[in-house]
Amino acid sequence: MGDSGRTRGRVRRGGAPRRMRLSRRRLVAVLAGAALAGSALAACGTSSAATGPVTLNFWFYPDTSPATNDAVANCNNQHKNLYKISYQQLPQASDGQRQQLVRRLAAHDNSMDILGLDVTWEAEFAQAGFLAPWTGQYKAEAEDGTLKPALETAIWNNQLVAVPDNSNTQLLWYRSDLVKTPPTTWAQMISDAEQLAKEGKPHYIEIQGAQYEGATVWFNTMVASAGGTILNSAATKPTLGAPAVKALSVMHQLATSVAADPSLSVQMENQNRLAMEAGTAAFELNYPFVYPSMKADNPSMFKNFKWALYPGVTPGVPAKVTIGGEDLAVSAYSEHKSLAFQAALCLRDKQNQIIGANLGGVPPTIASLYNDPALFANYPFHADILKALENASVRPKTPLYQVVSIDISHLLSPARGISPKGTEQSMVGQINNALQSKGLVP
Amino acid sequence: MSTTTPSTQVVTGTEAAKVTGRRGRAPLSEGAKAERRLGWMLCAPAVIVMIAVTAYPVIYAIYLSLQRYNLELPQQIKFVGFSNYGAVLSSPYWWSALEVTLIITVFSVSISLVLGMLLAQILHRTLFFRGTVRTTSLIPYGIVTVAAAYGWQYAWTPSQGYLSAAFNNTAALTNQVEAVIVIIIAEIWKTTPFMGLLLLAGLSLVPEDLQKAAKVDGATAWQRFTRITLPLMKPAILVALLFRTLDSFRIFDNIFILTQGANGTGSVSVLGYDNLFNALNLGIGSTISILIFICVAIIAFIFIRGFGTAAPGTNLGGR
Amino acid sequence: MAVTTTPRQKVGWTTANFVVIVLALFPVVWLLSLSFKTPTAVLDPSILPAQWTGSNYAGILTNYQFIRPLINSIGIDLIATLISVVLASMAAYAIARLRFPGKSVLIGMALLIAMFPLIALVTPMFTIERALGLFNTWPGLIIPYVAFGLPLGIYTLSAFFREIPWELEKAAKVDGATPFQAFMKVIAPLAAPGMVTTAILVFMACWNDFLLAISFTSTTASRTAPAAMEYFSGGSVFTVPTGPIAAAACFITIPIIIFVLFFQRRIVAGLTSGAVKG
Repeated sequence: MGDSGRTRGRVRRGGAPRRMRLSRRRLVAVLAGAALAGSALAACGTSSAATGPVTLNFWFYPDTSPATNDAVANCNNQHKNLYKISYQQLPQASDGQRQQLVRRLAAHDNSMDILGLDVTWEAEFAQAGFLAPWTGQYKAEAEDGTLKPALETAIWNNQLVAVPDNSNTQLLWYRSDLVKTPPTTWAQMISDAEQLAKEGKPHYIEIQGAQYEGATVWFNTMVASAGGTILNSAATKPTLGAPAVKALSVMHQLATSVAADPSLSVQMENQNRLAMEAGTAAFELNYPFVYPSMKADNPSMFKNFKWALYPGVTPGVPAKVTIGGEDLAVSAYSEHKSLAFQAALCLRDKQNQIIGANLGGVPPTIASLYNDPALFANYPFHADILKALENASVRPKTPLYQVVSIDISHLLSPARGISPKGTEQSMVGQINNALQSKGLVP
Repeated sequence: MSTTTPSTQVVTGTEAAKVTGRRGRAPLSEGAKAERRLGWMLCAPAVIVMIAVTAYPVIYAIYLSLQRYNLELPQQIKFVGFSNYGAVLSSPYWWSALEVTLIITVFSVSISLVLGMLLAQILHRTLFFRGTVRTTSLIPYGIVTVAAAYGWQYAWTPSQGYLSAAFNNTAALTNQVEAVIVIIIAEIWKTTPFMGLLLLAGLSLVPEDLQKAAKVDGATAWQRFTRITLPLMKPAILVALLFRTLDSFRIFDNIFILTQGANGTGSVSVLGYDNLFNALNLGIGSTISILIFICVAIIAFIFIRGFGTAAPGTNLGGR
Repeated sequence: MAVTTTPRQKVGWTTANFVVIVLALFPVVWLLSLSFKTPTAVLDPSILPAQWTGSNYAGILTNYQFIRPLINSIGIDLIATLISVVLASMAAYAIARLRFPGKSVLIGMALLIAMFPLIALVTPMFTIERALGLFNTWPGLIIPYVAFGLPLGIYTLSAFFREIPWELEKAAKVDGATPFQAFMKVIAPLAAPGMVTTAILVFMACWNDFLLAISFTSTTASRTAPAAMEYFSGGSVFTVPTGPIAAAACFITIPIIIFVLFFQRRIVAGLTSGAVKG
């Protein structure tokens, strides 16, 4: 009561009525706000020139070779006015990388700009809305001269969601002191190994048989080489059938023959390499990283360490080896998408891919580089890699790839437990469940 | 000076303030109220920290278990009630993981209890190099689990590890039974010091005089152990068992490094991890976690009600 | 009381000591030997490396950025242990000594937290930490470690405190000591061994933690040692760096050995004197 009296008193006493004074205050506030906003906008417009290059966070696997650091340094030097790439490391294991990325992208973390993705993650990340699509001139630059299967891994729903950076594929590595001519089919390779076993010589065929992604890669290669696919192109159901049964019977044949390494069911790429270097194996299906490793670790065996194309399943039909590698994508939550696209394109340009190949041991994704002499010294097998890459198969593209892969690998490992028809049936059932997101993952 | 006051009498102000630890029934004495306040105040920081950190996540996990929530398909999130529980409980993967978990728990806890008891005796009584023995026996517990697990894994890798070589180059980790045995051994090695430490604390509460008197009376070492030591150590044993069982049921690190859960060696935690972090199926993964929690709660209940593990503070006696 | 030790007893205890030391250490010796092996020698199953190399240790200190995670580990774990033990002591004292309603609720809650699978809690906790700006900071790991160390601490300490004869405190007060003196001179020495043991248990639990460390950190600003080992890589994407991992494992055991060496005398001296003097 007193208050209202006072107010009324004030109004009556003269001076601007309270309401008008308030609105004057409001007016001043609005003007001040506008001035601030205006100056802020003005600052924005000139920010890049006034405040220096933008820092782009590049999240990539921990590269112990200087390749990634060199690439980052090169791009920073060439574009010092525009941006500064900061190389942040992800865990070494692929699963660990994926978990870090997913966890932070699901929380809309804006401190990630350029992401290093394994070639099987694009569908999942894109479907979840984590990736910014590539369009216009960036898309054109990304596609220009890139190997087709590599590009295939970066496309989801007819959109380009990443740019291929490096690639990887497997070759057949063998000891020329044990084997004169390399086999061209699995059947031939197994019989060669059995022959060596009879002669009491090292005879194992090294392949990744542990219950992990590598087993799925092996299966994918075999199915594709037998002429089939794992999923239909719409990724709605499995299309295993006869090629899958053929693939499974070859895998089973290997696992139950004397050519199989006793640790097959826990072996990954690294153990295969070690077994080969230790001298117990005659054949190895593995990535090119084994070449410089053999050179360093076992120089005497290195003299007889040769390579050939991955053996096929059907005589006369070349194998379609699964493609691996890394693609670079731009986060949908990045605050500097345009610069990130440019930076990503720079990180994977011709110069940096040659560095990656020579220093980091990872094959390039730009086709023309395979004819570049700068590659030849460290990549004497460049011609075979190119052939393998051009004919490569891609793993099934679906956002539920992880589940599909886990289901597949659990049915394939231990490989001696495969029964071609039975395993194929189980696989069809489980993949169907997986695609409908039903049920558990082992 | 404390006055003994019959509990039914009402105790007045100042007198009550001098009486510590005793209280009237209804109405509460000043002393009792002060005791209550003190009790709450002392517990408050711990309670606040625990609630602040875990309340929302626990509730959110329960909430997620009732949803069909797959991060890979964000457009298909919906409430599905208990159907996730149905899916998990009817899945053979859950039951085989549970079986493996129970086997590992039972064997590793019981064996580490026996070994821990032996270790406690040695730590308690050894005549020489006490410090050395005590320090070295704690080292297995101090090494980071994943690091020790790597050591075991390399040791059991054929043609690479000394343990595998000792057993004729066996690939123990590829075979379900042998791999589970290796996991149990790794667990026992890691956790015996923890048991030993807790049991040592219990052992030290057994009065030496009783032991000496019994010796004088002609009791053998075994009799002294079973008739005097064990009963007096019962509370410590039960607490050690409780915590160890709870931890063992949720075993993860060792299995993950040794076999990644392959070849049927996955525990329920590995199953939960796979579904939560690999398949990004938050609904099913949370359901598995809640079910693990329920199992663990049942175990705790059995220990506390069944074996009478002291839930501390329930029995103040006449103090 | 003087105890005469027969030669048979001496041999017996020496053997027992020896067995304990060997069993505790042989896997550690294996890790040590792995840490000194060259990448090729890793294939060699023998315990003694054919060729000794210090390159793994040199590597972890330079290339693998291990120093900072080690500092993070020690700092975060020590702080978390300290806070946890202090809070747990207060609560355990109240539980063991005082009567107040809600005690069983508190114990139930502590048990619940000790039992709930961590994997389910990681994602929502991560979301909270990001919202509060705690992600990738020291408090971001310290606070969860305290919360998860409290149940263990409360349980262990209540068990200890229950066994302490509180009459001694009253007797001291009767003898003329102030409450504070009574507490410091009589109760604290009895409580100390229990607190030290609890501190060790809580510290080890934090030290061993992997899941929280890997989920709540993204750079070496707050990454701890176990998580840092995840970032070790070999010569290629597929090579597992056995040597560096073994070297790191051995390296991070050193603070533990120092910690235990420093404290074990204290604990055991207190523990074996018994809470009830004869």
